[in-house]
Amino acid sequence: MSAPQKGEKIYYMRGTMSPEARIIAVGGGKGGVGKSFFSSGLGIFLANLGYNTLLVDLDLGAANLHTCLGEEPGENSISDFLSGRVSSLAELARPTRYRNLRLIGGSNDPLDMANINDLHKSQIMSSLFHLKADFIILDLSAGTHSTTLDFFLMASHQILTVTPDPSSIENAYRFIKSAFFRKIKRYEFQLNLTNLIGDLMANKSQHGIRSPADLLYFVSKKDSKNGELLAHLMSTMNIQIVLNQVRTTSEIALGPSIESVCRKYFGINAQFLGHLDYDNAVWQSLRKKRHLLLEYPHSRVYAQLMGIARTLAGPRKEKKAIS
Amino acid sequence: MSQRLYEQTFYEILEVAPNATQQDIYAAYHRAKATYSPDSPALYSMFTREEARELMNLIEEAFSTLCDQSRRREYDMLLIQRHQGFHPESLAASAQPGLPDFKLPDGHDHPDKAHRKVVPSASPVKPPAPAKKESLPEGFARTRMSVYEVDPAMEAEIQQQTLFDGPFLLKVRQYKKVNLDQLSEGTKISRPYITALESNDYDALPAPVFVRGFVVQLAKVYALNEKLVADSYMSLLRKAKG
Repeated sequence: MSAPQKGEKIYYMRGTMSPEARIIAVGGGKGGVGKSFFSSGLGIFLANLGYNTLLVDLDLGAANLHTCLGEEPGENSISDFLSGRVSSLAELARPTRYRNLRLIGGSNDPLDMANINDLHKSQIMSSLFHLKADFIILDLSAGTHSTTLDFFLMASHQILTVTPDPSSIENAYRFIKSAFFRKIKRYEFQLNLTNLIGDLMANKSQHGIRSPADLLYFVSKKDSKNGELLAHLMSTMNIQIVLNQVRTTSEIALGPSIESVCRKYFGINAQFLGHLDYDNAVWQSLRKKRHLLLEYPHSRVYAQLMGIARTLAGPRKEKKAIS
Repeated sequence: MSQRLYEQTFYEILEVAPNATQQDIYAAYHRAKATYSPDSPALYSMFTREEARELMNLIEEAFSTLCDQSRRREYDMLLIQRHQGFHPESLAASAQPGLPDFKLPDGHDHPDKAHRKVVPSASPVKPPAPAKKESLPEGFARTRMSVYEVDPAMEAEIQQQTLFDGPFLLKVRQYKKVNLDQLSEGTKISRPYITALESNDYDALPAPVFVRGFVVQLAKVYALNEKLVADSYMSLLRKAKG
């Protein structure tokens, strides 16, 4: 097959749609690695920087973001949207004690909320795309359920919180692997890889392909056009790593190391966003049901979270006095 | 380990830009060493120990080539020839005359010996064999540490010289474009001693037995007659000290 000509459009993405806001998904594979703590802290800081921010608790069935924020459980939750009681997720957003920060919680969800079907999932995703805000932060559940992966993949910033424990690192890699294959599986017919991806997902290697980076190499050798499509798909994975509960300075080096392993194994550019120290203040503030950022504004975690929020927000656009 | 990694350039293996400075390369090497050492937590569940060892060998191989200025230049030329997306201008920064080459820490197995066999001979990333003298353009010559333009008048002067004092050794060093830092690194003679030697500052030099050794070392680097240079310098030193 000939190489694509200059200017030739080769990507035909299904369901390509740009959201109204910048969506940040916070996942991590493992439970207890600080997803909700980080989401809530990030939300507060982004709101504090003047961005209209919306926190969405997508830990369906185990929603507790309101507790991390120090808010009372709300009356409405995502299940009201799915049952049709409200017509859009925007109606569920309630103000919090922090300026510019709204929350869509899940405290009143029915107990079987974790088992939503594909239709409900699409409804939520489509509604999230239409929410008006500067930033929407999705707090995801642990594990690699397809619903969680789809929420993760819809975001423009895909953040993973990882702690230096081997179990957390293992689950984070597993999460990236699952998300990666979930993404490219949608294009397996286009890429002409029908059986190969299934085998790779089952950890069976073929043609010496052990990793996604090997897959790209293999596909590019076979067909340059497909190679380009796969490379494009891989480049849209925008994984950012936050290292949480760091106890020693040597553990910080894990961040760049994970970046490197992602490049070598997955062939994707993961970015190490920053680290958060292990701090007793975190659980102490949680006990008091007040966010650490209010309770311990002089802690290092405060400064570290603020640094990460600033990095994510990027340079501020000055508002013009006259438009 | 997949063929893919063996087809990557040394720059890709070390995850540095083709125009990275020596410091960048050194830092990248240390990062890579921390990441792919067998007990690194970052590898957990991704690479087996065996794969990590092979990756580490590739990293050592890449570093041993890129940390050496002259070998790096030769490798860059090889990449340009192979059209691997390399352009001479992107490599401009790699040619940094005067920057010292980084040495592997003491006690470290030199990758040249330990790992050279890992890369299959057909691999395009295999570094070139050490350059032969005839690969230089006409009118140029090289020492162990530099390449210089041959000046017949200066060559004749060196040939006829019988009195090898400090200033003359300095003149030869400048003619042969040997950098003081490189010289100090390569001969393990400290910079103050080389400076003292070249300025005939005999009081700053150590015992004569050491000085003789230094002079022989320098003569070897400049490709001079070791015995002649050492005898000449030592007789001057004896005369001065009385």
